[in-house]
Amino acid sequence: MGEHNTPDIHTRITERLRHIQYPGSQRDIVTLGLIGKVQAQADSAIVHIRASSIKEDVLRHLRGRITQELTTLPEIVHVHIHAFPAQTGQPDQGGKAGNQAVRERADIPGVRRILAVASGKGGVGKSTVAVNLALALASLGHKVGLLDADIYGPSVPLMMGTDATPRAGQDKKIYPVEKYGVSLISMGFFLDDQSPVIWRGPIVMSIIRQFLRDVIWSELDYLVVDLPPGTGDIALTLAQEVPLHGGVVVTTPQDVALLDVQRGISMFKQVNVPLLGVIENMSFYECPVCHEKEEIFGHGGARKTGLKVLGEVPLVEEVRAGADAGKPVVVSAPDHPVAQEFFGIARQVVATEEMQLPQSVH
Amino acid sequence: MPTPLLLTPIPEDQLLRVLWDDDTLNDYSFAYLRGWCPCAVCQGHGAERHFIEVENPQLVSINMVGNYAVNPTWDDGHETGIYTYAYLRNLGESQDNRHGHKNPEGTH
Repeated sequence: MGEHNTPDIHTRITERLRHIQYPGSQRDIVTLGLIGKVQAQADSAIVHIRASSIKEDVLRHLRGRITQELTTLPEIVHVHIHAFPAQTGQPDQGGKAGNQAVRERADIPGVRRILAVASGKGGVGKSTVAVNLALALASLGHKVGLLDADIYGPSVPLMMGTDATPRAGQDKKIYPVEKYGVSLISMGFFLDDQSPVIWRGPIVMSIIRQFLRDVIWSELDYLVVDLPPGTGDIALTLAQEVPLHGGVVVTTPQDVALLDVQRGISMFKQVNVPLLGVIENMSFYECPVCHEKEEIFGHGGARKTGLKVLGEVPLVEEVRAGADAGKPVVVSAPDHPVAQEFFGIARQVVATEEMQLPQSVH
Repeated sequence: MPTPLLLTPIPEDQLLRVLWDDDTLNDYSFAYLRGWCPCAVCQGHGAERHFIEVENPQLVSINMVGNYAVNPTWDDGHETGIYTYAYLRNLGESQDNRHGHKNPEGTH
């Protein structure tokens, strides 16, 4: 766009703006195209910042910098900045042509981090791990929610020992069910025990969206999402709908399970979700009498993935019984070595995850 | 994977400017971006990608998709294209000029 190369006030304003670097970049805000129209009226400069994906805190920083730079010009006393930051929220309301809007990833209000628990195949104890991980995180003092995304086979209500019906709030919102200090939502709360869910993908996807958007999660440090087995619609919807801060993959030690776990790992890679590590479940069986370890499913499978192994959870009666009785081992027997293993996993998740928080602007 | 730091549609120049976290800056003309839409409606299910000629496409909005992609909405209502960061980056690198129609895969 051609301003004439005269040292008029517009040129000097633009020249000052070129001194402002975009946070996290060596480039200046004019080069990035962020600056639209620039006007000068009497002792005021008027700067239009284009609609972009700029974040609120970056915009605030740039407003300060722009005012600072432009008031160094002798004729400028006041600086007016018109800005159109990224809109957040659901991508449904269409805009008008010529008024481009960039919509940021829509976080869930109040939810700081979303962790997905996945597995490439079924039957590896993913829900058991998700439930105990959520409870272990809660025991460590975090505010935790648990979203059972297995719409077709919800098992969280049974494992958490509740079949309460979520309370309705305003505007078609629902309150999660509280149990053992964790906020829960599951398709199981809306079904009776016998009725199967026979739905096609699009309906299931809209349920996942409602679980994310229409549940009043309030303030959470962690929302743990128990994904259904495999790499289908639900996992993809989740990855598209919200920014996931991390994924963990649950597996069992045998080679045939590893084949599938690789798919789970690739899925997280493809959707750019940081993989926190692998949890090996049913890792070994310890004889309750002689305490000899038996590696029924083989040994060290999770290590073959080359990923960080967050924990190896043995096959013990207490875990199974706790899940079936609605009292997960972390709650029913927190001193049991298996519960301790889950606490260890939770601590590592917290530690790994702290380092991988989305880059903030300094 | 390179990740966009800032996306700025510049309607006056009919382009989308993308700043990546490695400080690379790419311009995508609306026609170029629309033309290489990766969605199944545009591309079908064949192995090869085609350039879709659309006359004067206008970008209405862009949604960020999770952690990994962007999803533009065009003024003709088309909104099924999910451009992964990797694909978008590829498009940026293979573009010899703002209006070039070069194949983003680098093959013909």
